[in-house]
Amino acid sequence: MEEIVTRLKDAVINYEMETIADLAKQVVDQGVDPLVAIEQGLAEGIKTVGERFGKGEIFLPELVMGAEAMKAALAVLEPAVPQGQHRATLGKVVIGTVQDDIHEIGKNLVSTMLSSNGFEVVDLGVNVPAADFLKKAGELKANILAMSALMTTTMPRMGEIITPLKKDNPSVKTLIGGAPVTDVYAKEIGADEYSGDASGAVDSAKNLVG
Amino acid sequence: MRGIRFQILSKEDLDRIHWGTLHILEKVGVQVDSPTCRKLLNENGCEIDEKKRSAKIPSHLVEEAIRKKKSTITLAGRNPKYDARLDLKHSHMCANGNGAVAVDFDTGERRNSTKKDLIDSTTICDALPNVHVHWPMVSSTDMPPSVVHLHDLEASLNHTEKHVMYETGVTLEDAKNLTAMGYAAAGGEKEYRRRPITSCLQCTYAPLQHDAGVMDASLEFARSGVPLVFFCMPQPGATGPASLVGSVVVGNAEVLSALVMTQLSTPGAAVIYGLGIAPLDMRTTVRAGGSPEHAICSAMGTEMAHYYGMPSCVGVSGTAKEPGIQAAIETYTGCVGPLLAGADLMCGIGLLEDSSCLHLEQVVIDDEIVGAIARLIRGEWACDDTMALDIIEKVGIGNNYLAQKHTMQFLRTDHFMPSLMSRESEDNWSKTGKKTVKDTAREKVKKILAEHKVPSLPDDANRELTAIIDKVKKPLWGGESKVQ
Repeated sequence: MEEIVTRLKDAVINYEMETIADLAKQVVDQGVDPLVAIEQGLAEGIKTVGERFGKGEIFLPELVMGAEAMKAALAVLEPAVPQGQHRATLGKVVIGTVQDDIHEIGKNLVSTMLSSNGFEVVDLGVNVPAADFLKKAGELKANILAMSALMTTTMPRMGEIITPLKKDNPSVKTLIGGAPVTDVYAKEIGADEYSGDASGAVDSAKNLVG
Repeated sequence: MRGIRFQILSKEDLDRIHWGTLHILEKVGVQVDSPTCRKLLNENGCEIDEKKRSAKIPSHLVEEAIRKKKSTITLAGRNPKYDARLDLKHSHMCANGNGAVAVDFDTGERRNSTKKDLIDSTTICDALPNVHVHWPMVSSTDMPPSVVHLHDLEASLNHTEKHVMYETGVTLEDAKNLTAMGYAAAGGEKEYRRRPITSCLQCTYAPLQHDAGVMDASLEFARSGVPLVFFCMPQPGATGPASLVGSVVVGNAEVLSALVMTQLSTPGAAVIYGLGIAPLDMRTTVRAGGSPEHAICSAMGTEMAHYYGMPSCVGVSGTAKEPGIQAAIETYTGCVGPLLAGADLMCGIGLLEDSSCLHLEQVVIDDEIVGAIARLIRGEWACDDTMALDIIEKVGIGNNYLAQKHTMQFLRTDHFMPSLMSRESEDNWSKTGKKTVKDTAREKVKKILAEHKVPSLPDDANRELTAIIDKVKKPLWGGESKVQ
């Protein structure tokens, strides 16, 4: 492997959020295959960070900083990938917090966890209407539609998205979470997977694409 | 009450946090999603950025709002003997609220909570001596989604005579309906305004945000005479600085800016200072509601509230998954810190899994823990009665005090009598089946549910409540467009 790809990997492992974009530019300038840089550099780096987190050696801030570093480098490398080629991911996840709910920290953590574990994540943000979830899931050919709600008053909206989704886009799997959400509730509204915390969401997502 | 108090923040610390908060409100500001509130702030000299929906609030508006606050707020009970007078001198307890899961008392099954769970837990809270204010502990998820919160309030009002605080007034419409139900239960608006038997806890959104529905509802509550709590919840390290004091600054800015809007709209409105700062556990991504950090932040929040002359509302919320050792440690740690700081209203007993899951046993266990803490922090003093020199002289040397009236009298005031914990000998304990605290708690729950009767609201009040619920009930949500 080229030395600069190894440096890219180390930059993720060392959370070099501020400088990694410059390094990524050098990668492009030197004519290194951007897909190789992404898969053998960034993805390998974030995998190491994720494993350390899993073992309890590092904590959430380190994981988030690692993911931020990866994101900064991807912003440079992805546009350089030749048309028609795609980086290998575990699947595409469209994620958001349901309408009238603006609690996003849990959803953001799930996004970070999923992207640091090899998923491509499209985050629709908070207060997302049902129609937007349904439209984006179809448009972006998502493998997984992930939704969160923090309030018992907004929680039922997830069910109102799952029902039409199953009809119009049956191949898209659903993953739900949020403080009041339970496994029992998930079954009741027909969600395919539920997770009680952000770490568990990765296993749930892997189950869905596995 | 004299009460033992500890002090965490010095006067200088309190001043620094106050000035720091004013600096943040002026320089960074807060996001105000409600156009009504932005207009109100704009008319009163705040710098508004309509694109970012943010408002920078000058210090004089904050100082003015603090001057208009109420220092004594009585959360009236349906029965006046349960009035909770928050006066910066007495602590009151409140159950935790609005979980969505319950462990079935009979089958042990973990399932969605129902209106029956809410009725049972409300009846238990009515019976317990150390629960002073009631929160609907779980949601009636078996009711139609559009009226779950109204069923919660109806069940609460009918099954306790204590004050009912809810946290479900998150839109203007909710505020109007919940207020109408409060008026109906109190016997009309005039009577309600004199003795508000309900109140609403409103959460601000960390960091530095105010949801549109919540703030529109809050102004409506204030206009209608419904007491409010503005409860901030930055999570140190996630939605607030990892340093606890830094998160107190963020939370303080949220509470004070909500206070500004409320006092501009309704001067003199009853607002309680709420703060629930618990860190995000950086290994599991779960909120550490039973942590010592939560307790210490709640103590600091109480000190800030009292610095402003406002009553405080703080919380505890264990992350244990079942009644037992972890739950007891978490309730104890979470309650003792804020109560030692003189918290006016301490919420959070009875639910586990960080305010999510109801175990009826835990409600009575937590009541016992609070009883022990209340004794611990009551305070002691030397006066003729407590010194008991005359009795000591009377009993003399080598005799005992068992047959003294003084003993009988002070036993009732000075000695905590546990109702669940076992103090019998090992021999007796073995003979009676080696009962654990959870076993005795189950017996107590059964006894309360079998014997404790709470008078319902009058029939005409109940007819009004039912009419309001029927009017609001609508088909499932869906198809609405995004509200900006």
